[in-house]
Amino acid sequence: MDRETRDMLLETAGRFFAERAGKDVVNGVEKGVWPADLWKEIEEMGLPLIAVPEDLDGVGGTLADLMAMLRVAGEHAVPVPVAETALANLLVAAAGGKPATGPSTLALGELSLQGNRVSGKVARVPFAGVAERFVAIVTAGGKSTLVVVPRDAVAVEDAPSHAGEPYGTVTFDGATPEFSAASAVSAERALELAALARAMQMAGAADKVLVTATEYCKQRVQFGRPISTFQAIQHMLAELASYAAATIASAEAASRDADEGGLETGGSFSIAAAKTQCSDFAHRIAAISHQSMGAMGFTHEHILHHYTRRLWVWRRDFGSESFWGEKIGQSFAKAGKDELWPALTESRYAA
Amino acid sequence: MSIPKLEFPPFHLPAEAEALRGEVRAFLKETLPRIKSEDRFASWNTPSPEFSKALGAKGWLGITWPKQYGGGERSFLDRFVVTEELLGNSAPAGSHWVADRQSGPLLLKFGTEQQRQAILPRITRGECYFSIGMSEPDSGSDLASVRTRAEPVPGGFRVNGTKVWTSGAHRNHYCITLVRTSGQHGDRHKGLSQLLVDLKTPGVTIRPIINLAGRHDWNEVTFSDAFIPEDCLIGNEGDGWLQVTSELAFERSGPERFMQNFYVLRELVRVLGRQPAKRASAILGRLIARLWTLRQMSTAVAGMMQGGKSPAIEASLVKDLGTIYQQDLPEIARTLAESDATTEDDLADFLDIAQYASMMAPSYTIQGGTTQVLRGIVARGLGLR
Repeated sequence: MDRETRDMLLETAGRFFAERAGKDVVNGVEKGVWPADLWKEIEEMGLPLIAVPEDLDGVGGTLADLMAMLRVAGEHAVPVPVAETALANLLVAAAGGKPATGPSTLALGELSLQGNRVSGKVARVPFAGVAERFVAIVTAGGKSTLVVVPRDAVAVEDAPSHAGEPYGTVTFDGATPEFSAASAVSAERALELAALARAMQMAGAADKVLVTATEYCKQRVQFGRPISTFQAIQHMLAELASYAAATIASAEAASRDADEGGLETGGSFSIAAAKTQCSDFAHRIAAISHQSMGAMGFTHEHILHHYTRRLWVWRRDFGSESFWGEKIGQSFAKAGKDELWPALTESRYAA
Repeated sequence: MSIPKLEFPPFHLPAEAEALRGEVRAFLKETLPRIKSEDRFASWNTPSPEFSKALGAKGWLGITWPKQYGGGERSFLDRFVVTEELLGNSAPAGSHWVADRQSGPLLLKFGTEQQRQAILPRITRGECYFSIGMSEPDSGSDLASVRTRAEPVPGGFRVNGTKVWTSGAHRNHYCITLVRTSGQHGDRHKGLSQLLVDLKTPGVTIRPIINLAGRHDWNEVTFSDAFIPEDCLIGNEGDGWLQVTSELAFERSGPERFMQNFYVLRELVRVLGRQPAKRASAILGRLIARLWTLRQMSTAVAGMMQGGKSPAIEASLVKDLGTIYQQDLPEIARTLAESDATTEDDLADFLDIAQYASMMAPSYTIQGGTTQVLRGIVARGLGLR
């Protein structure tokens, strides 16, 4: 979509999330309350179909449009699988399928196919507890097959994330998919796209944390003055801004590269670097924001933890800084020191 | 007041700039092995007139300046590429660095026509080098407190005072010197001016200040009744502060803020061998990801500047993150090499490199605006002061 349309959509989505996915909804999900109305409205806005072509009843946006929307979702800690479903729908459409309605999620892990039946176990599947179907990409004989497996064909063991979202372990025991097709997107690529989605959500969350801590420090009065007037606090928040900036810049650059390079391989290195960077700084962002807000920010009552806990969870989702960092390090070590600079300037793995 | 949103719009360097990169790389590959350097790991502050002249002959100094002054009339982004290639290939760029980066643009903006014609073409040929005379014994981060006084006398100024940390004054030709031309010491921003000082002027004495690594980069430059002709005033009398602040804001976010010790990362890749262990690979990858991010931030700021914006907060954030990265790099690399270097020989050699880099590291967060000054700027941008 053109720039203007996207900006309009993002603004609308931002206002909508602020209004309908507030504190009570986020806390409710942690207590196990599925916000059915919120999800229904998200579907009515077309957000899960944002990157699905129009001839499949999608919105017809690009991967970059989808990622930009996820940054906004991250900024509001939207506690439903909008990232997972939108990405799953994109993959289904790319494999020639027609996305169904309802929340879906991605089960990215070691799975196998016998005939048409899927087997294997995937841990830490986001929103496994509420997803109506699981989208996976299975590799066999060098070929990638996308499968859509309905909820009643798998066993889900609940294991809520540390942010209180309904993650879980999903066991496929000869499960029959409701749809399967050859996928141009490989399993490794699906993991990259999911990592990019998390990086963009982290960018949104980092931004929100910075704003939350800054506003708080401007209002909180101690020793007769707002604590934001203390140089110690000012420098903490400036440092926090630098980590938020790195998170935002890396995620945005990776999103651009992924979009421009195409769904199947675009921005492979940039995504790895961005997820490494975002995960690496997540803890610093959480640490400084909590320190600046004292005991108040450590309560369940305050919203800060909606964001800091998600940052801690998201840094691990779809590959941590160790996972992606290892891939990058291996590639650059193997290629040798003279390839370091050329590869960096071209945002690619060294070879 | 709401908080301004941090934005780093991803930016591609244009095709012309990328084409220039190829030319610069080919030139460096051919030229660098022939250049003798006193430093084992040369960088932006290692002087080499020979190299600067070769670069000037290619037309890559004053690359953005008007052709009438010997410039290339190319874009700011072309300059960005030349700069990062010099850093990425550890070229000894120290002779021309300040003149090309800071002094030339200042003269172009505020200098007289006579000054421009006399100086700029020589800079573009790689023959004319500059120092910066801002800091004084009692005036560091608080630059407005300078005491060096230029007293108007017939035909010019009589200058008395002392400048310190004046890099390269012992081998450079000129020093753009911030002085008080009117008013009193307490007047702060008022009454300051900049003078174009020929470092061979009688009454100007240059003494070395050796840094902790035993290097002679810095000098103390003393003015004792030194006569500076009136045509050496840069811009208007009393506009010194305005001119200095525009100079300081110049490219706060350039690649030199995160690539000064790039050689450490390159040598780390060497010492770890072709198949490091998982943990070592991950740590190396994290360092590379941080550098990649800084480069994305830096190009994003360059793109915004090219688009006519002045992203002051974003630029300060790049310098803050970049200089701290440069301090972390030798320490992370040192401990990683100790556990994971492939051979003993490589390790001993690398530890010397890393130790040297660690010794140099404190300077990164001091020069060109300390971390604390930068964070003050960012805090102001966040509406905190």
